[in-house]
Amino acid sequence: MTYEPEISDRELREITDREWLDLLAEDLRYLVPLRVTREREAVSDVIVGMAHQDDDWDAMEMRVLRLETEYAWAEDPPSRSRHYITNIRVAPGDEAGEYTVKSNLLLYRTRGDNPVYDILPGQRTDTLRRVEGGLLLAKRVVMLDHTTVMTHNLALIM
Amino acid sequence: MAAASNGTSSGANGTSAALHGGPADNGAVDGLSPQLRAMLAQGKDDVRTSWTVPAKFFNDPEVHAVERKRVFGRAWVFLAHESEIAEPGDYVVRYISEDQFIVTRDEAGEIRAHFNSCRHRGMQMCRTEMGNTSHYRCPYHGWTYSNKGNLVGVPAGSEAYGNKLKKSDWGLRSIPRLDTYKGLIFGSLHADADPLEDYLGDMRFYLDLVLDRSDAGLEVMGAPQRWVVASNWKLGADNFIGDAYHTMMTHRSMVELGLAPPDPKFALYGEHVHTEHGHGLGIIGPPPGIPLPEFIGLPENIVESLQRRLTPDQVEILRPVAFLHGTVFPNLSIGNFLMSKDHVSAPSPFLTLRLWHPISEGKMEIWSFFLVEKDAPEEFKQESYLSYLRTFGTSGAFEQDDAENWQSITKALSGEFARGQEMNYQMGMGVHEPDQNWRGPGVAYPLDYAEANQRNFHEYWMQLMSEAPVPPAPSAPAVTAPAKVEVK
Repeated sequence: MTYEPEISDRELREITDREWLDLLAEDLRYLVPLRVTREREAVSDVIVGMAHQDDDWDAMEMRVLRLETEYAWAEDPPSRSRHYITNIRVAPGDEAGEYTVKSNLLLYRTRGDNPVYDILPGQRTDTLRRVEGGLLLAKRVVMLDHTTVMTHNLALIM
Repeated sequence: MAAASNGTSSGANGTSAALHGGPADNGAVDGLSPQLRAMLAQGKDDVRTSWTVPAKFFNDPEVHAVERKRVFGRAWVFLAHESEIAEPGDYVVRYISEDQFIVTRDEAGEIRAHFNSCRHRGMQMCRTEMGNTSHYRCPYHGWTYSNKGNLVGVPAGSEAYGNKLKKSDWGLRSIPRLDTYKGLIFGSLHADADPLEDYLGDMRFYLDLVLDRSDAGLEVMGAPQRWVVASNWKLGADNFIGDAYHTMMTHRSMVELGLAPPDPKFALYGEHVHTEHGHGLGIIGPPPGIPLPEFIGLPENIVESLQRRLTPDQVEILRPVAFLHGTVFPNLSIGNFLMSKDHVSAPSPFLTLRLWHPISEGKMEIWSFFLVEKDAPEEFKQESYLSYLRTFGTSGAFEQDDAENWQSITKALSGEFARGQEMNYQMGMGVHEPDQNWRGPGVAYPLDYAEANQRNFHEYWMQLMSEAPVPPAPSAPAVTAPAKVEVK
């Protein structure tokens, strides 16, 4: 299964966790950088040498397999979540057949009967790769608009 | 403070007069409601006789308010690791309760911690989390301080103050006490606190097992992850100090997937040790029939150096270890674990420090640090980083489930009916006897499915909570001598 016929179409539908894995390139990098508050003159507010999440395909499979055990308490019962994706910008990627897709993310999350919600805003920078029959996600960098994350874990895919 | 009856260590040095004299309690008789006073009195008895602890301690506004003064106003609290401020001018901003401190290395190389508040109108001097600067300039009116904390510049000094402002009286306030232990920088708001070495006491023997393994020392990689969990901070401290038992259920997914050893009771096979002042740890070897590398699977050069640097007893304690967890009272925890970065990779050890920073009775901020020996091979550092990141921290597959549980506990204990509930800390009752053959200090039990460490932690906490601070000494000087630490 691949991205078809165009960007994120399948991801925008409801998919199972297993189907999510099928959308990922074998050389996947899924990175959530760690940011800190710095002066405007600082070159970058992204920390080198640490991140919130730094996954490859095996790690992503581990997370999916974990949900299939009977002991993944962080998401059992599951969160109710919704991804709001806006401002999608597509440009040619660094490699032939690849596209760089930037988008704004607002991930909404509630758990249990608690009416309080968590929101995770950020920017996604995706690398999509054209393969036979569609597109695969080769890289996703999620730059959160937080230095201190305001949800109790990052158990959701952003 | 007889200890033998319930197996928690004597707190003789914990009741020392040096613990008095913390921040004043604003005129209340002893600063406690009758309800809390009764709960503490009963709790101190129960933890020793029935091995229970009042559940309401884990979510109560008054407990939090008193805790800020009597626990966090007195204890030595972890601020930073020396490697985070390696160069002169490097600084990080760190907290004890709501109080912010600029922890910096000054131009002479000395470590200092300045209250992050301008002496003129209270403005934050650093509104950043980290950086490098020789001076701090206030954005409000421009008062400027050197990173030694001295006031060196006052704009329009002649027109506004007739050059009569005595700058030497108006330096940044220093944290009352500052000291380091093998790279860990601690501060205390209590000017008369016992020396850090005494406060850590026998726990130093065990801290050395993780802090003193290499000639080059440890470094924090990047910066700590920070995130907010709707949980009381003590649940994190309680978990890390001795709760090997929860791994069987909470972290069963990791056992099934092979990130942890293929035995749900993998954390049973260890020593459960606590010391005075509420500190404690668990030191766990491989499960029976599941051989794991010696010395937590550390790289060869570190195994070589640790055998030179540690004492023979420390070396033999560390030799079979695969998992080490502990808490330095009140809110610094340590995890040194041999785990896999995913379900198809060999395990690689990692070291994390975590700070359970209290925000309110029902909310904490977790600060999770990843450290590695500076002289470890680069390939090892990368594997260690990935093992840490995939299992602990914001997205870690182990820690996700802990945060879920701690939030759920805190929520369950928010109401009034929770006031009548006791937490059961009776594990090991009639089962475990102290291990007389243990090679290290403190009170040790030969299995890590025990709760003596937790009882010791909560007993010391209740002891501090019960002691009314003595009013501060009169005629405090306008400026205290800057707290600094000589570079060793």
